[in-house]
Parts: sequence; C-alpha cells; structure tokens
Amino acid sequence: MSAPSLPRLQHIVGSGIVAAVGVVVAYISYTQQPSEAFLFPRLIATVFVVLALWTFAKACLGWTKVGNGISGRQFANLLPGLVVALIYIFWAAKGVGFYTATTIAFFILLSLYDPAPHMALKSWVKRIIITAGFMAVMYGLFAKLLNVYTPREVFF
Amino acid sequence: MKSLLAGAAIALAGMTGAVMADGHANYPERPIMMMVSYGAGGATDFQARIVTMTAGNEDALGMPIAIINKPGAGGRVGWNWLAGQAEADGYTLGAYNIPHFIAQSIKGGVQYSRDSFEPIANWGADPAVLVVGADSAFNTLEDVVSFAKENPGKLTTSGAGLFVGHHIAALQMEKAGDMKMAYIPTKGGGAAAMKAVIAGDVMAGINNLSDAFRAREAGNVKILAVADLERNAFLPDVPTMMEAGLDVDNSSVNFRGVMVPKGTPQGIIDKLAETVPTMFENSRVAGKMKAGGSPMHVMTRDEVLDMWAAREETLKELLAGL
Amino acid sequence: MEFLFYMGDVFTPINFGLLLLGTIGGLILGATPGLSPTMAVALLIPFTFQLEAAQGLILLGAAYTSTVAGGAVSAILLKIPGAPANIATTLDGHTMAQKGQGAKALQISFLASAVGGVFGVLLLIFLTPVLAQWALAFGPSHLFWLAILGVTVIGSLDSKSVVKGLLSGCIGLWLATIGFDDIMGAQRFIFHPALGGGINIIAALIGLFAIPQVITMFAKGRHNDGAEVIKVQKHPISGAFRELMRSKRALGIGTATGSIIGLIPGVGGQIAGLVAYDQSKKFSPDREKFGTGHSEGVIAAESANNAMVGPSLVPLLTLSIPGSPTAAVLLGGLLIHGIFPGSDLFDNHPDVAWTFINSMLIGQILMCIFGLYVAGLAARVAQVPQSVMAAVVLGLAVFGSYSVQSSMGDVYVMASLGVMMYFLERFGFSAAPLVLGLILGPIAEANFIQGSMIANATDGMAPYFLGGRLNILLIGVVVASILYSGYMELRTRRYTSKEEIIA
Repeated sequence: MSAPSLPRLQHIVGSGIVAAVGVVVAYISYTQQPSEAFLFPRLIATVFVVLALWTFAKACLGWTKVGNGISGRQFANLLPGLVVALIYIFWAAKGVGFYTATTIAFFILLSLYDPAPHMALKSWVKRIIITAGFMAVMYGLFAKLLNVYTPREVFF
Repeated sequence: MKSLLAGAAIALAGMTGAVMADGHANYPERPIMMMVSYGAGGATDFQARIVTMTAGNEDALGMPIAIINKPGAGGRVGWNWLAGQAEADGYTLGAYNIPHFIAQSIKGGVQYSRDSFEPIANWGADPAVLVVGADSAFNTLEDVVSFAKENPGKLTTSGAGLFVGHHIAALQMEKAGDMKMAYIPTKGGGAAAMKAVIAGDVMAGINNLSDAFRAREAGNVKILAVADLERNAFLPDVPTMMEAGLDVDNSSVNFRGVMVPKGTPQGIIDKLAETVPTMFENSRVAGKMKAGGSPMHVMTRDEVLDMWAAREETLKELLAGL
Repeated sequence: MEFLFYMGDVFTPINFGLLLLGTIGGLILGATPGLSPTMAVALLIPFTFQLEAAQGLILLGAAYTSTVAGGAVSAILLKIPGAPANIATTLDGHTMAQKGQGAKALQISFLASAVGGVFGVLLLIFLTPVLAQWALAFGPSHLFWLAILGVTVIGSLDSKSVVKGLLSGCIGLWLATIGFDDIMGAQRFIFHPALGGGINIIAALIGLFAIPQVITMFAKGRHNDGAEVIKVQKHPISGAFRELMRSKRALGIGTATGSIIGLIPGVGGQIAGLVAYDQSKKFSPDREKFGTGHSEGVIAAESANNAMVGPSLVPLLTLSIPGSPTAAVLLGGLLIHGIFPGSDLFDNHPDVAWTFINSMLIGQILMCIFGLYVAGLAARVAQVPQSVMAAVVLGLAVFGSYSVQSSMGDVYVMASLGVMMYFLERFGFSAAPLVLGLILGPIAEANFIQGSMIANATDGMAPYFLGGRLNILLIGVVVASILYSGYMELRTRRYTSKEEIIA
C-alpha cells in the first residue's frame, strides 16, 4: 500500500472525531443520573459508538467508498467566507445588532466572492445596490410584516 | 464598542437627562415580548394572547405585546430561559403558572426559584378537574377512589407533566384518599393528556377545567370532580373533591399571570403593576375569555406576592415526603 | 353533501380576497428559507382577532395549505426544506434543479401537491367520523412502533453508504436527547446554556441544510471555477401534467401514506413525506433512479405532505384535540370566537365549519394555479450568482432561526450544526437521515416511556407493546421494511468507484 492519500487521511481524522464524540456521549450516558432518564441516550449511544468505530476502522483500512473530502483549494476558497460568517453569527449579530451586522457581513461576502473585477467602480456600485435591496426586503419582512424584534445596538 | 456607543448615547441624551434619570416615564417605547413556556395553542398560550391583545391601546401600555413560545419539559425550558438568559429590561415579560414553577423549583434541577421572578398581575385561575372517558364505568369520584383503593397502582391517570398542577392534584388525591394511582405524564401538555383519556389509553385524567369543559361540550368526557374550594361557574353541576369526600384543597389550581425576571427596574415594575390589571379587566378581554371557556381571576401584584408565598409553603409540605 | 350548500360562502368578496391573500402570502412565506408553516400561521393569529370566525379561519387555513406547498420551492431550488415536511422533496427535487429541470420539478411538485391536497380535504369532508375513530386508535405503543418504522427508513435514505446513513441517524437521535427530558424533567447533555431548551427542530433544519449549501458556494471560490451556470430549461405545464399521469403509482402511494400518517395525532406531517418517498422507492421498478433527479420522488413526497393537511385537522375538528402545532394554533382561532370544535362546531356553526373546509379545497387549487404560474420564474433563482445566493441564504438563515423563538441560542445552534454538517457531508454523511433521527427520537422516547408506565400499571410490557391487532400490524410492517431493505442492499450493493474518491 502506498502512502495514504489526502482524502484518506481526512477520512481517518473525520471519522475519528465522530468516533470520539460517540465515546464521550456513551460515557456521559452511562455515568449520569437519574438512570431512567438516560435509558434512551444509552441505547442510542451504544449503537452510535459501534457504528462510529466501524466507520473509523474502515477509514483506517482505506475501505471508505463515499465522500470526497476537501481539497486544499476548496478549503482556501471557503476559509475567508467561513471566518466572516462565523464572526457575523457568533459575535456581530448580537454585538452590533442584527441589521447592522447583516449589512456589513452581506457586503463583505458579496465582495469576497463576486467574480467581477475589484478595480471596477461599477461592480462596487452594483454590490452596494444589491446589499441595500436585500436589507430593505429583510427589514420589511421581519421587522414590519412579521414583527420580530431582533437585537439592535447600532442604528437599527 | 457597546459601552463606547452607550456612552455616546448618554451624552446625546444629556438634554433629556431628567427623564432618563427618573427612569421610565416613556416606557414602553417599543413592542414588548412575553414568553409563554408552553406551546402555541395550549391553554396558557391561548389565554396569554387574549389578555394581552389590548396592550397596544392608548389607555393600556400603548405598545403591543408579542407572544413568544418556549415550550418543553412542563415549562422548565421557558422559565429557565427567563431566569437565566432573558434581559431584565422591562421588554421581556413571562407568563407564570402556579403551582408549576414553584413545585419544580422545590424539586430542584432548574435554575429558577420564587425569588428569580417579580410578579406583575394574575389573570386567570384554572382548577384541575378529574375526567374520565364518556363511556367509562366510573360515574362519581367515589367510584374512582374505591377502584384505586382495591387496585393500588393500577388506576392509570394522565396529566400534563411532572410537578405541574395536574400532578400536584394527583399527589393530593393519593394523600387524601390514602391510595396509590399510576400517574402518567404526557409529552405535549394538556391536549395530549386529554387525548389519552378520550382514546381510552388511560382510565382517568386530570386536566385543566377550561379544556375539560370544552371536551365535555363535545361529548367526549365526563367530569367527576373539581380540585378547588368551591364549585366553578362554568360547571355548577360538578362537585368539588371535598364535597365528594376527598380532602383536596385548591393548591393545584393553575394560576396564570404575568411576571418579569428579577433585576427589572423598579420603575417599570410599578408601571406594569399599575397598568396590566386594568388591561385584564377590559370588557373585550373578559368577553373573549368567557367565550373560550377560560375562568378569569384578576389579582394585583401585592395579592400575587402573597399567593406565591402561601403556595410555596403548602407545596414544600406536600412535596417533602417525596 | 352539506359542504356544497356552503360553497357559495367561499366566493363572497371578502372571503375570497382573504383566501387569495392567505394563499399567495403563504406561498411566499413558505418559499422563504427559514420560515416554517407553524410560524407563518402563528404570526397570523393577531390578525384573526380582528376578523369574523369564518374569515379568520379561511386566512389561517389558506396559509397552512400553501406554506406546506411553498416549502417545496426552496427545497427544490436551494436544497433547503421550508419545513420538516419538505425534506424528502430535496432528495430528487434539488437534483432535478441542478440538471436545469427546476421548472419541471416545481410544476410537478405543485400538481402533485394539489392532487394530494384535494384528496386529503375530500377525506376530511366525507369520512371525518370514521377517521376520528382511526386517529384515536393510535395509543403510545402504536406511536412507538410508528416511530421505529420511521427509523428503519433512515439507513436507506439519501446515503450512498448504509452504515453512514445509520450513523447520521444515530447522531440525529442523540441530538434530540439534548436538553430537558420531556417527561422526567432531567437535564441531559447541556454543554452550553444555548442548549437548555434542547435543539429546536426548525433551527436545526435551517442549519443542517442551508449552511452546508452556503459553505459549498464559498468553496467554489471567487472565479466561478467549477461552478457551472445552470441553463434553466423551459417546460410546458401540459408536459408536467402528463408526467404526473404516468406516475400514478408514486402519486397513489404518496397520497395514501400522507392521508394515513397525517391523521395520527402527534406524528403529524413531519414524517409523511419521508415515509411516502421511501415506500414509493421500494415499490418502483426504477428504484435505482431515486435520488438522481427522478420525478417520482418529488411526486411521492409532495403529494404526501399536502394530503396530510386535511386529515391532520380531523382530530381537531371532531374531538377538539389538536394533532399538530399548526392545528393547535387553528384551535385558538376558533376559541377566540367562542366556537368549540366538535359537535358544537358542526351543529351550531356549520357555516364556519364548512366555509373553512371548502376554502381549503379551493385554496389547494388556487395554490396550484399560482404555483404553476410562478414555477418558470422561480426556477431562474438557480441563475442568481453564487456570491449573492450565499450571502442571501446566510442572512435568511440567521434571521429565520432567530425568529423561531426570538432566541440567540437557536442561531448559535443553527450555525454550529450547519458547519458540522458541511464537514460531515464531505465524508459521506447526509443531512436527511440526521434530521429524521432528530424528529423521531422524541416521539419514540416519549411514547416508549409513557407506554411502559401504562404497561407497568396494567398488563405488563409484552402484552401492551406486542399485543393487539394494530401493534402486530405495525410490527409486521417494520419487519417487512427491514427485511426488504436488507434484501435490496444485498442485491444491488451500491458503491462508487475508487476513481471517484480520488477525484
């Protein structure tokens, strides 16, 4: 056998994490009280661990048949977007208010992934218009029509 | 960033500083949200929506109250959220159910107690009733009691969950009759417990008077007794448990009302405590409540404070042996 | 034939106007990723306070009907099911859209919805008393077996590997146990305060389907490399109609399964689509085409989840028992006008009852007409640039998951599950079985515990769970389903070649 390919290594790591979660879940299920309340979690966790270890073993032996893993380029592509999205969701939405955060995140993501050239003024104007349009729809739909009160810190 | 902006806001508000300092003369300035710890369409949710529907009127709060449902585990999910995660800014209210949340806090495993909340006002009192299917062999409370005494632990009785009003009533019945029932808590609240009775999954059930009244109108159940001190205006022909020979008082009556998390500014509490009871007494509200078969019982903040304290004492005693 | 007598009431200007409003509004809300039917209906309650009883119910009924059908739009075009009911629609519908057949998939889905929906309402009109007895026949033990039947579907659902399908299902079942245990009130696996209320199914649904889509679009990068511009094929409505007529088997299985499962209180429409999809796959001679953009898959799933709308109201209208969250909201709409469902409704307020039921019948047809009208237009969503789409879906996911319960915790749960799901999908796990586990876990658990409490007080476990005709029938179906899946697995071992792994 040749050296493990990148997808295979990823499969080993991925299924390893799942198996580790399964073991933790099983451990918690079998140690927590009251035991009647953990009857179902125990049952599920047992099956979970067996299946997860099986998958892990298959990954280690290189028998995994489905799933392509992530190529280096894909990961490089998605990373900036993911980071922006996570900052937006886990901090900015609450920290600076839903509408402000969404406007900023929306515009950044649009600029990051829009194939139009970054030097052209026209594409910036287009992106600003799209952002404004989207925010107007969101505000109309959620704040006006559905009466949802979202966290607000700055502006609206 | 937040504090910086807050600082800027305070500086800006310098001119209107007097109002800000006084506290909450302008309260409420935006729509208010009220958390109901039961699902949409349940008795508590339905009543909460009716009693708050006039909140937007000028003579009431002048701002609408939106209902947010956080159902789960007999109300524990919602009250935990209100006690631990809700912002005590006066714009987050909660609906309370007594004896539920006090009984649950006594049993433990939750992050709230009586001291976590400040009552505003009470809108309703919904006694627990004993129901059996329309074709059941039981016709009186005595029939049920004698069956339970002859067959200890065999009388399957549905209710909305553990340590809610229905369960308290069942515990009181067991104590008063010196008998053992099989209390079956259901997932999905009073509606699911009622379905179990109608479908014959269980032999009897303890349910809300308002829901049972409706089920009886539809010809699906017989109501055998009310767990209250006196007969109810909706059911003048149904005896109280005491009349029928079981020494069960009104500890299980489901009081519903509005509260806020501890830490809400006193100015807001006072303003709400003053306005909300008058909102409940609005004739449109009363008319809709009556039409829906929901008994009203308006109490002010001071009365509710006394009621909470009294309930906690009785419940501690009742639950001590468990 | 009493319903014909009140048919005219549907067409008074105000009533018909409300019906149109509810239908069109419902379609739009349903098609918006992140808004569920229950939420749309609950948001309409305040409006019904101002309306007369019949009018309020028309609005609610129309919104209920069309949000369920509207959910198919985002399921097909974006692979984001609007509600749990639409999960099965994503499996073939989205694959069709990727092949440029979005318009066709939408047309077929609306036609199938209308057929199923009309059939369901007709059942409600003609067989209500019989069906009410049926609905009551399902006690805790039967619901438990029904949930187990759902679990048997997990392994074969949208996964190229049975083991990973089952493992995805297990992860879902485990996620469902997080939070307070519903019956005992014990706290389980609450690692973070945001999990205190358990995992909200709608927030989870948004996260598990929408976020992986967003990240997948990110992964394609800025220069549109690998992203093919989809050419949306025009498709005549008559063609969709013929296609539907050719797939009578899928349509029949979907409609029947939806009607039966929709009737059962507590299980509701959430699993109707998935079970119907699985059944029609098992009975179809082209079963290997399912999952590759096969129209029968869309037909079975969509006819099932609209067929369930009518029967799901039977327990409410006859017995005053709301069988689903949406039905509970409708109950409130009746009570507020002092009308009690049950004999009171049909004896004393027949105008309200029949106008409501008739309006659902007309609503199904209106929904289909509008749906067909916009299908071609809506399918062009596939041509929106990836960069815009990713940002729009992300924004909607955040707002949608927040507004379910006005809770930041739900947004965090949504995002965490979503990111996790993206990586799991890269390794051959899939979201549909995971969500199915999430839905079925609580049903199986609560009914098992409740059933065993009743059993211990009465006959004992074995007679309670294994005795009785309905239990034996359900167990028979479960066993047959497992055996059949095993047989199919052995006969057509599904695998992808080594080259694909390296690719």
